[in-house]
Amino acid sequence: MKGYKKYYTKKIIWYVITLVIAVILNFLLPRLMPGDPVSAIAARTAVGMTSQTAIQKVYEDYVKAFGIDKPIYVQFFNYITNALKGNFGVSFIYYPRTVSDILARSIWWTVCLQLPAIIVGWLLGNILGAVAAYIKGAWDKAVLPVFLFLSNMPAFGMAIILQFFFAVYLKWFPASLGYGYDMIPNLSLKFIGSIIYHYQLPFWSIVLITIGGQAIGMRSMSIYELNADYVKYSRFLGIKDRKIVKYVFRNAMLPQITGLALSLGTMVGGALVAEMIFSYPGLGTTLLSAITGRDYPVISACTLIITIMVLIANLIVEILYGFIDPRIKAAQQE
Amino acid sequence: MSNRLKKICVFLVAIAMLASLAIGCNKTETTTKGENAGKDTTSSDTADKDSTPRNETLYFNGQQWGAINDWNPLSSNSNNALGVTQKDSSRTLTYETLYMYNMLDGKMYPLLASGDPVWNDNQTTLTIKINPDAKWWDGTPVTADDVAYTWDVNVKYESAAGADYSNYIDSIKAQDASTVVISAKLKDGKTINPLKVLEYIPRQFVMQKAYLQKVEQRNGNDATKMKTDKMDDLVASGPYKPYVANDQKVVFQRVDDYWGKAASMWGKLPVPKYIAHNMYKDNAAGDVAFKAGEVDVSQQFISDVPSMIAGGKISTYLPEAPYNLGATMPTAWFNLEKPGLDQVAVRKAIAIATDYDQIIKTAMSGQSASFKDVPRSIMNTTPGEQALVDQAALKTVQWTGNDVEGAKKLLDQAGIKDTDNDGIREYKGQKLSFKAECPSGWSDWNASLEIVAAAGKAIGIDIQTYFPDANTFYDDLSNQNFDIAMWSPSAAGISNPWTRAFQLMSSSYNSVKTQMIGNFGGYSNPTVDKLLAEIPATTDQAKLKAAYTELSKIYLTDVPSFSLMYRPELFYTVNESVWTNFPQQGSKSEKGIEIPPYDLTDGYGIAGLYTIKLVNGK
Repeated sequence: MKGYKKYYTKKIIWYVITLVIAVILNFLLPRLMPGDPVSAIAARTAVGMTSQTAIQKVYEDYVKAFGIDKPIYVQFFNYITNALKGNFGVSFIYYPRTVSDILARSIWWTVCLQLPAIIVGWLLGNILGAVAAYIKGAWDKAVLPVFLFLSNMPAFGMAIILQFFFAVYLKWFPASLGYGYDMIPNLSLKFIGSIIYHYQLPFWSIVLITIGGQAIGMRSMSIYELNADYVKYSRFLGIKDRKIVKYVFRNAMLPQITGLALSLGTMVGGALVAEMIFSYPGLGTTLLSAITGRDYPVISACTLIITIMVLIANLIVEILYGFIDPRIKAAQQE
Repeated sequence: MSNRLKKICVFLVAIAMLASLAIGCNKTETTTKGENAGKDTTSSDTADKDSTPRNETLYFNGQQWGAINDWNPLSSNSNNALGVTQKDSSRTLTYETLYMYNMLDGKMYPLLASGDPVWNDNQTTLTIKINPDAKWWDGTPVTADDVAYTWDVNVKYESAAGADYSNYIDSIKAQDASTVVISAKLKDGKTINPLKVLEYIPRQFVMQKAYLQKVEQRNGNDATKMKTDKMDDLVASGPYKPYVANDQKVVFQRVDDYWGKAASMWGKLPVPKYIAHNMYKDNAAGDVAFKAGEVDVSQQFISDVPSMIAGGKISTYLPEAPYNLGATMPTAWFNLEKPGLDQVAVRKAIAIATDYDQIIKTAMSGQSASFKDVPRSIMNTTPGEQALVDQAALKTVQWTGNDVEGAKKLLDQAGIKDTDNDGIREYKGQKLSFKAECPSGWSDWNASLEIVAAAGKAIGIDIQTYFPDANTFYDDLSNQNFDIAMWSPSAAGISNPWTRAFQLMSSSYNSVKTQMIGNFGGYSNPTVDKLLAEIPATTDQAKLKAAYTELSKIYLTDVPSFSLMYRPELFYTVNESVWTNFPQQGSKSEKGIEIPPYDLTDGYGIAGLYTIKLVNGK
């Protein structure tokens, strides 16, 4: 247990340092972009106004409300003290809505779309990779290349093809939105059915793209392991194939778990394409419009979420590694 | 160990399943209003709480992008397109104005008011009568006091409207319960700008005094809090009240005892029981839904309108090209302080060499009147504005475009030539090289500027297009940090074409460092300023026409900017699968007034809500 403790303390210290640096960058980088966050909102307000002093007043009002007239270190200090209290401030483009309110409303759509899609894609991909490596034949020569081809398709291409074919042409699934265009949100079966129905195309557009990449990694790892000395040795010893395969795939899985952790961490930003094309409610477009609108508080909050998710996912993987792979634990204990 | 791995996988999948379920739970965050907002919202025939029935709902797109922020007309960032939009033709589904503007005849028609507004003899006070039938949702009458208090609150808390109009309006007082008197701000005993006083009344939503006092109380009379109050518990007078508002949609439900069913107003209720707007993330998604019949009224630029119309179900305001009524002119503004662009010859050469027919054909897919049909001036294409300009007097200064030879000649005559034979002309030893910019993703605008750039190339002026994100663009535009930038001046309204002329040419903006209203390039002309000062007080039609003609002449001679196309204020394409009898050219309300193509929501366009019918039935 002593070894574990040392291993994890060290890890956690590194993670805290990474987090601190990330928070500083999250704050600083958006603010270094050229462009003024107030100009867009002021331009919208100015429509139809004629008095230049009036619009100047509106402009200054916003500058003051957003606090961007203060020196950057004061802004940073405010940001940190507020963030520690869980307050990410007020959005610029959706002023006066708070960032927490905006994120709380849309993040669930993103998580519920991305998390299952990434996991299902990852599982199917790994199974396919393992099967292709072990059984070979049509799996390796036909199925895997097809998914490789799909995974090399840009995400928007896949989404548009699915949308055109299954929604516009065959009309099997709806082309857009998170639930029926005429539905009113409630907890009825009809409404939940509508959500599941609208979920299909965005979900599969992500899954289909994920499979190939995961499969190819799993396949090479499995082939490498299948040819490893311990496999040959086990065969000599007369250990059953089924048992050997178990060892092989367990070893081959390790890098794949890291991949999963990373993709789980970045899912907030990754949902953009599917959300855009299927007009699916969610965080992706919020983040996009925040970036184009120089909405610093929203950008910082979104990137902070991504950072924290990546860190947590990695930390969990590291911890799991210690358990799954005794070799890593052993290496750290030395 | 593989069992453990299996367990991990099972665990992850379980999380995934739970998360999917959470989607359903998430819906409960949606605000569903109506039940608590008044006695009039419950109805027997639509007990279906799951959906808004297709044959009782009018669906829109292209208006609402992203979730709404608030229901507060004092806020300038409500992002609540259907609920809170105050402009020259305000959107009066929820809140109502005193008058509705009709761009077809340039007149105002009473909404909360009764009869026309009346100026006193020396045009210093404007008297308006309130319709005695007008009621708030809570049943209390709309009074002159409400109108006066709305003004006071706007001024006191310095809303955008308060800040702007307090330059032109001195006070708004209730003479008695049903009479409002607006006193104009005076200078040397004369009203500063009667047009701006008139502009206030079809634009400003009237709010209930009692409700405003309640909001003031809960915010401790704090200006910032007043302007950022969400006003979820709003009390208004319009025919629709908020029903659902979330990240995917906004829905309004008809107020069944809406005062407007009195004979003095519409004499009946608007036809659709619900108004709904789903939030599509981009035009493409909106178009797909529109074609599928999930949207009835589309406020999106649809490039293949011609072929859609051929299908029979889709129609527009005009049966054929340009399909709509051009109310504004997206314009290319020159920065007059850039060497080269300070020369009229260079500006005019670019303007006359540009191929407008190509812009209209490719960028606008034919959805703009051509400059041959509606010759250029500072007027839009509406009959009301065209009547204010003498086209014959402008013949000599107008151009229709694609005149490359004429442009070359103009430059040669001005001595601006290509001296080093590299294909680009020089002015004072400097190559004529400019950037033409507009926000990225505004595809029709981007295409237009490409055509301007091509014209530049043809006449030996290097024009590079530059499409930054919208914020960078606004920054460039408002700080005069551009060479050529594209932006639209004001569209139709009671104070137009004056406001548009002011935005195009008034030198009053030049002293302000950051300004987002107009004359971005820094044009200055004392004659223009004098005309702009005189027009608002001019009532004689002949004099007005002479003044506008003179302004147009100067505009077309000096070319501080030039229009690239005509464009409607709102795109208006309808799918007649469920609803029909939408306002089209010549459609009239029951009172015999022609209904403008304003998406059945804005200004007098709302009359369309009372005339539409279901395709099969009522």
